[in-house]
Amino acid sequence: MIHMRDVCKVYDTGVTALDHVNIDITRGDFVFVVGASGAGKSTFIKLLFREELPTSGVLEVNGHDVVNMEPSDVPYLRRGLGVIFQDYRLLPEKTVFENVAFAMQVIEAPRRLIQRSVNAVLDIVGLRDKYKSFPGQLSGGEQQRVAIARAIVNDPAIVIADEPTGNLDPETSWDIMDIFHRINVAGTTIVMATHDKTIVDTMQRRVIAIEDGHIVRDEAKGGYGYET
Amino acid sequence: MKLSTSEYFIREVLISLKRNNWMSFASIGTVAVSLFVLGVFLTLVLNMNRMASQLESQVQISVYLTDDLKNSRKDTIEEDIRALQGIESVKYVDKEEAIERLRERLGDQKYLLDALGEKNPLPDSFEVTVTQPALVQTAAEAIEKMTGVEEAKYGQDVVEHLFDITRLMRIFGLILMVLLAGATIFIISNTIRLTVFARRKEIAIMKYVGATDWFIRWPFLLEGVVLGGIGGIVAALVLRSFYAAMAAKIYSTLTFFPLMPQYPFMNYVGVAILISGMIIGAIGSTISLKRFLEV
Repeated sequence: MIHMRDVCKVYDTGVTALDHVNIDITRGDFVFVVGASGAGKSTFIKLLFREELPTSGVLEVNGHDVVNMEPSDVPYLRRGLGVIFQDYRLLPEKTVFENVAFAMQVIEAPRRLIQRSVNAVLDIVGLRDKYKSFPGQLSGGEQQRVAIARAIVNDPAIVIADEPTGNLDPETSWDIMDIFHRINVAGTTIVMATHDKTIVDTMQRRVIAIEDGHIVRDEAKGGYGYET
Repeated sequence: MKLSTSEYFIREVLISLKRNNWMSFASIGTVAVSLFVLGVFLTLVLNMNRMASQLESQVQISVYLTDDLKNSRKDTIEEDIRALQGIESVKYVDKEEAIERLRERLGDQKYLLDALGEKNPLPDSFEVTVTQPALVQTAAEAIEKMTGVEEAKYGQDVVEHLFDITRLMRIFGLILMVLLAGATIFIISNTIRLTVFARRKEIAIMKYVGATDWFIRWPFLLEGVVLGGIGGIVAALVLRSFYAAMAAKIYSTLTFFPLMPQYPFMNYVGVAILISGMIIGAIGSTISLKRFLEV
């Protein structure tokens, strides 16, 4: 599903964010990416949906050769991925339904399919009854659930989440993790960068720890491993 | 393109025009003014071209005779003219007929002739037509050498002058067109830049969920084309009424002036202006997208 060989990322400023990273993530994995700020976590995540390109090395995501692909093929790589951010990134002037439907409209999905799929994912995240609300009328947790609905509405193979619970209180965070768990059980690979020690320790999933651009630990059922 | 997609694009453009209403208004205004000026030049050049070629196609030579010529001498001249190569017809016009024609042509202003009283300053003349325009010059030169002929005139110098002026106007119009088009493209690209800025969040999300570059670009391109198109329509409509008013004025004072008839001429000019507006709009948004939309 995700295959990295000797992946390096050096930014134009000269900062080395990732240094010869090797990793394989298989279908159905649930992976936490942990590490201090500036360790290379964000870069790792950004490489996966080609927000950044590796400086060298081999990177394959969902069957696409990310390094050598044509720029015009990038949209098709991203259609197989669902990306979720710490700050939700919803469109404030669109309703919950419209925000989720937007992800299908812009890849020119048929209208009837949009109606059906949006309702289905709003069911999954438990926001079916709030489909008419605007993001400003929702709590942070609800907004993040809309963002998750938008990320999974096109049925991606991999969900990539960058600190999805970073702005949420612990209880709300568990609601979000519950949704991720259910998505994962349904067969979707999940890669989630996080700072949340409790979540990582409790869920006992695969943990990849990054420090100074190196993978220092990769455990099948790990804990956060740092004192915070 | 799917129906729902076209609907989406159209809705996006309308929202955008509304959101940037002042900037949209300014863009449309600039396009309209620029295209109007271009349209004025276009109609002027086309009219002068027509005038010149119409004069050129009049293959008539006016042969003015010296005063008090004997009738027998006139007959000899007529025969000599007929003997030339390529002559189609020769018609004698005496001075009375000439002044009568002039009076008719002046129409409302025929009182001007009253000042002459009983005197008739016009000479007797022959009207000579030739079979081909190319023969006009040689025929006129031969006729002028005949004794008793004061002058043999044809429209050539006027035609050449008109073509000269038309050429100048064309160059001037082209320079003006480049400048105005430049200004128009600049303001349209600025408007589109504002739209891109207002939509940067949506653009980012569209990229994350895998919208193609062209799907993202289309609404912006369309917005530029719509701005240019509306400007073009305004310019075409104003130019149309302007031309109608000018034509009415010209016809009322210079009846025989060979102006382009309003239809279908102004329809063609209108379509040309509209298409230019849309092209200018497309260029303007393309420039903006190249610079500000990293897809």
